[in-house]
Amino acid sequence: MIIFLSSQSVFGQQIHIPEDFVPLFNGEDLEGWHISRTNHHGTVGNFYVKDGAIVMKQYPYGQGGIILTDKKYRDFELYLEFKGHPGTNGGIFLRSSESGSAYQLELAGDGENGTGNLFGEMLRTTINAKAENIEEVWKKGDWNSFMIRMTGEIPKVSLWLNGKHIWEAEGERNDLIGDLTEGMIAFQLHWSATLQPIPGGRCCDFSWRPEAAHSFRNIMIRELKPDY
Amino acid sequence: MRNLAQILILIGFMASCPLFAQEGKPGFDMEFQKIEPGKFLVGKIEIECPSYPDTRDVPENVRWTEKDFKLCEEMAKRDSRPGFWVNISESYYLGKFEVTQRQWKTVMGFNPSIFNADKVGENSDLHPVDNVTWEMVQAFLTKLNEMDKNYHYRLPTEFEWEYAARAGNDALLPWSETREQAWIQQNDKGTTKPVGTKKPNPWGLYDVLGNVWEWVEDYYNHDIFADPIPPTKGDVHVLKGGSITSDVTNATYLFHGGGPGNGYDVGFRLVREMK
Repeated sequence: MIIFLSSQSVFGQQIHIPEDFVPLFNGEDLEGWHISRTNHHGTVGNFYVKDGAIVMKQYPYGQGGIILTDKKYRDFELYLEFKGHPGTNGGIFLRSSESGSAYQLELAGDGENGTGNLFGEMLRTTINAKAENIEEVWKKGDWNSFMIRMTGEIPKVSLWLNGKHIWEAEGERNDLIGDLTEGMIAFQLHWSATLQPIPGGRCCDFSWRPEAAHSFRNIMIRELKPDY
Repeated sequence: MRNLAQILILIGFMASCPLFAQEGKPGFDMEFQKIEPGKFLVGKIEIECPSYPDTRDVPENVRWTEKDFKLCEEMAKRDSRPGFWVNISESYYLGKFEVTQRQWKTVMGFNPSIFNADKVGENSDLHPVDNVTWEMVQAFLTKLNEMDKNYHYRLPTEFEWEYAARAGNDALLPWSETREQAWIQQNDKGTTKPVGTKKPNPWGLYDVLGNVWEWVEDYYNHDIFADPIPPTKGDVHVLKGGSITSDVTNATYLFHGGGPGNGYDVGFRLVREMK
């Protein structure tokens, strides 16, 4: 199925508007997605579909996890809309391994400090980026659109938030473990409490408010032909 | 004379190897640790909430309210579980190390590992074999059991694995101790590491946590922990112990993972029994 997007409604006028994005999510169920059973944030989660969106909540309390596309991607443009409750922490994973070793775009609650930053999750990255002044474009309590373009074995990544170009970053090497060149798209819900107390360690923190959620909708991708 | 003595010692060593000495394939050296019977608690969940009040310097809409704390306590209580006791009624022999690439090659004639010599930049014979599916392990076991006249080999059950990994410890390890015993996420890109190069657990087993995830016999039940009676069918099998892509929260003996895993960090260890 091909979806045609209008340039005005999605990306504004800052970038070239691709027209052949393919939906990654059918809006009705989690077909094409699966939950990682080896991710350190959790293996079960409370992930479901409501009102055309993937909703992610913790289960059991304190445990999150990641939900991944079944398919792997190399070079692509990813579009999605995100809504998050304040006081939560998650992320969009790019070229993720099954257990969630990935390039990560941070999602801190409802556009809180850190949202839109790029760094590694269970991965040491040479590509990193910081999203400055996103409050200028972030719509609190509402859906916010992300457009991420990722190309190259040594990756080059660009981010647009609500149609505004936020940053472009380039790595110094292929950071992926095992030198893999592709991976899954995934959404992360961060753990906030361990299943059992850790002797001498911390049990829990405030990183995920009880009953809070991250939601994703209109998730679509355009695969790009690698130039390597 | 000196050379003759060395040869005699070598012959004696090869004859003492339980495996393949009679097949004329030196170099197969799988060591096993006897695990004595006992019982242990599985599946206990004991969730705690942060301490009231929330004194963080954060925006007002992020700070937890009294209602949030109350809700947290309710959810933590709802989701905690007492666990159940598992009896290990007989002793068994569990591999001291993860099965290595050399051992896999000796049996199968090829090396499926992603972290082979090219990738790790050195001889990878003593690295754990990786990139093996549960089904590939079954093929390995079939061949191995045909080759060895004295012993039968199989994957441990999840309970056998976890009992030996815990080594009598009811609580989780402190995170500092996990880092002493386990090859987990490294400072740079990271590879698997030669087996037996970290501190063993108290029962003499190496790399039970970290290095590669380990397949066990059981089907995965799609739950946080194992059931008292493991399922007899399923779509994937259980993975235990975490790997080089884990951190202290999933390189634990209680973490109940499931396939397929990443491939490049998935291996196994074996149980050995008399034929």
